[in-house]
Amino acid sequence: MQYSPVRPRLLARGEGRREAPEIDPLLSPVVYLLRESRQNHPMTEFLEVVRYREVLWNLVRRNLKVRYKNSVLGFAWSLLNPLMQIGVWYFVFKILFQHGEANFMPFLVIGFLPWLFFSQTVMDSTACVTQEMALVKKAYFPRTILPLSSLISNLIHLALAFVVVFGLFAIWGVDVNIHYLWVIPATILVAIFAYGLSALLAAWSVFYADVKFIVGNLIGLWFFLTPVLYPLSQVLNKTIEQPGNWLESLLKEKLPLLKQLFLLDPISIAVEGYRSALLHGGENFIRVAAGPELTAAQAAALQASLRQEYPLLPYVIGAVAISVATAIIGQIVFRRKADYFAEQG
Amino acid sequence: MTAIEIQNLSKLYRRPHLRATSLKEAMLGVLRGQRGHDEFWALRDVSFSVEPGEAVGLIGANGSGKSTMLGIIARVLKPTGGTVAVRGRVCPLLELGTGFHPDLSGRENVFLNASLLGLSHRETAARYRDIVSFAELRDFMEAPVKSYSTGMVIRLAFSVAAHMDPEIMLIDEVLGVGDEHFQHKSFARLHELKEQGKTIFVVSHNLESVKLFCKRAIWLDSGRLVGDGEVSKVVADYRAAVAVYERSLAEANARNAAAC
Repeated sequence: MQYSPVRPRLLARGEGRREAPEIDPLLSPVVYLLRESRQNHPMTEFLEVVRYREVLWNLVRRNLKVRYKNSVLGFAWSLLNPLMQIGVWYFVFKILFQHGEANFMPFLVIGFLPWLFFSQTVMDSTACVTQEMALVKKAYFPRTILPLSSLISNLIHLALAFVVVFGLFAIWGVDVNIHYLWVIPATILVAIFAYGLSALLAAWSVFYADVKFIVGNLIGLWFFLTPVLYPLSQVLNKTIEQPGNWLESLLKEKLPLLKQLFLLDPISIAVEGYRSALLHGGENFIRVAAGPELTAAQAAALQASLRQEYPLLPYVIGAVAISVATAIIGQIVFRRKADYFAEQG
Repeated sequence: MTAIEIQNLSKLYRRPHLRATSLKEAMLGVLRGQRGHDEFWALRDVSFSVEPGEAVGLIGANGSGKSTMLGIIARVLKPTGGTVAVRGRVCPLLELGTGFHPDLSGRENVFLNASLLGLSHRETAARYRDIVSFAELRDFMEAPVKSYSTGMVIRLAFSVAAHMDPEIMLIDEVLGVGDEHFQHKSFARLHELKEQGKTIFVVSHNLESVKLFCKRAIWLDSGRLVGDGEVSKVVADYRAAVAVYERSLAEANARNAAAC
């Protein structure tokens, strides 16, 4: 017997569809039909995630459990971790640098919450598919569940960090008010943005291991480009009088654009939004505090002029648009690549 | 109504020429003009259908596309051409890995695995005792799976799959898992499932067990369907082809030896 290799012809789009077998959805609980190179409708993926929600919950539960595996204190670390992080900040800024401002710690801690959530989600995303290769190769489930489960696990960690922060609030004597609710839209904004980025990065990191290292470093840079350690107004007020080198002259030239980018970054909006909600009763983000160099009157004047120059609403709308666009692009790329995850490695 | 209907199914694997595993290699490859892929057709224009309640063995040499076929039916892989229609809940047992997480306990893994195979928490809880007693791992369920031996992991994986109550079961080379005792047990369990009218699709190199278990066999050779029918006939054809191939190899070797 001899078998000569024959190159089979690929079916053209639509061809052969007529003979596709008919399916009776009532006959059995699970029916599916695979056709060559056809993408499912995005709605189907959503319905599939709903159908496989038990897998999602199981993965979330497992993520939470495994994060602190082999540690004596176990889940308590979810609370201890943010607490210790705050302790480190306190040591560095209050004791080492003698930061004088009275409200600096709440300012820092509150701003750090959304940042921690965002950076953890994005960092976890590069591993969320590659770590689950054993599952991906063995069974079908909508792959969207993987980045989604890492997002939800990190949301739960954020909620636990809030428990710590509210504990501190009691000590600091911050009063609870209705403006706290602004935290919810701010969190949704970061979550959408973080999901888009993680879906994108998760898909790429399956095919290129480098993504992980690039992301690690870019997140480090992004931290300093986000107003966590400093207020947003400091960036908006920044001027470069005499550029010392080419980089500074380039910065000087592009400064107005850069300031606008700062205001369009969903993470910056969320960080300042958290502070407005929890510390300033929902006031405008752009705040200038009086300090050693500024008298109260000067600070108020500067704040007023900055607020006039940068009306918040268009920027917030822009940031929301950027978040949503990132999520859509991330999801499309992820879905496209997901069909080939199981062939990798 | 068929359980599995496959029409003109083809699967193409693209592998980069230089297996670029990093961005750097990929970029260097582009710079040197080494773009392009090796193409490998794992399945070529395969069509067949399986009726509900049938037990079908898939046989063929290594690399003939058997596992790819099961992967596509299980929706893990995407076909390049053709259509696959599957009616009923599919429970895949692909290769010997299981997708168990080493740090979770046996119990937690059972629930995770069962949800992947489409069972709700309540359904799994109802079967939990059966699963554990079938795997004979009663005393180990709270221990992390990383402390299990290979045999224990496989027993548990098989036991979960065997209690899923799927309409269609896909089994890749897991017929002869575990020790002698567990092999007998798993075989008996599969027979039981067959009696219940489940559709069972088996990939195996163990031709005797395929003959014992299936009425029908499908033979794949380098991705094409070359035999489909009564199991003893297809197995005999396959064995004859292997014998022809081995004889030609032996002759070629003899010629080479003579030439030296």
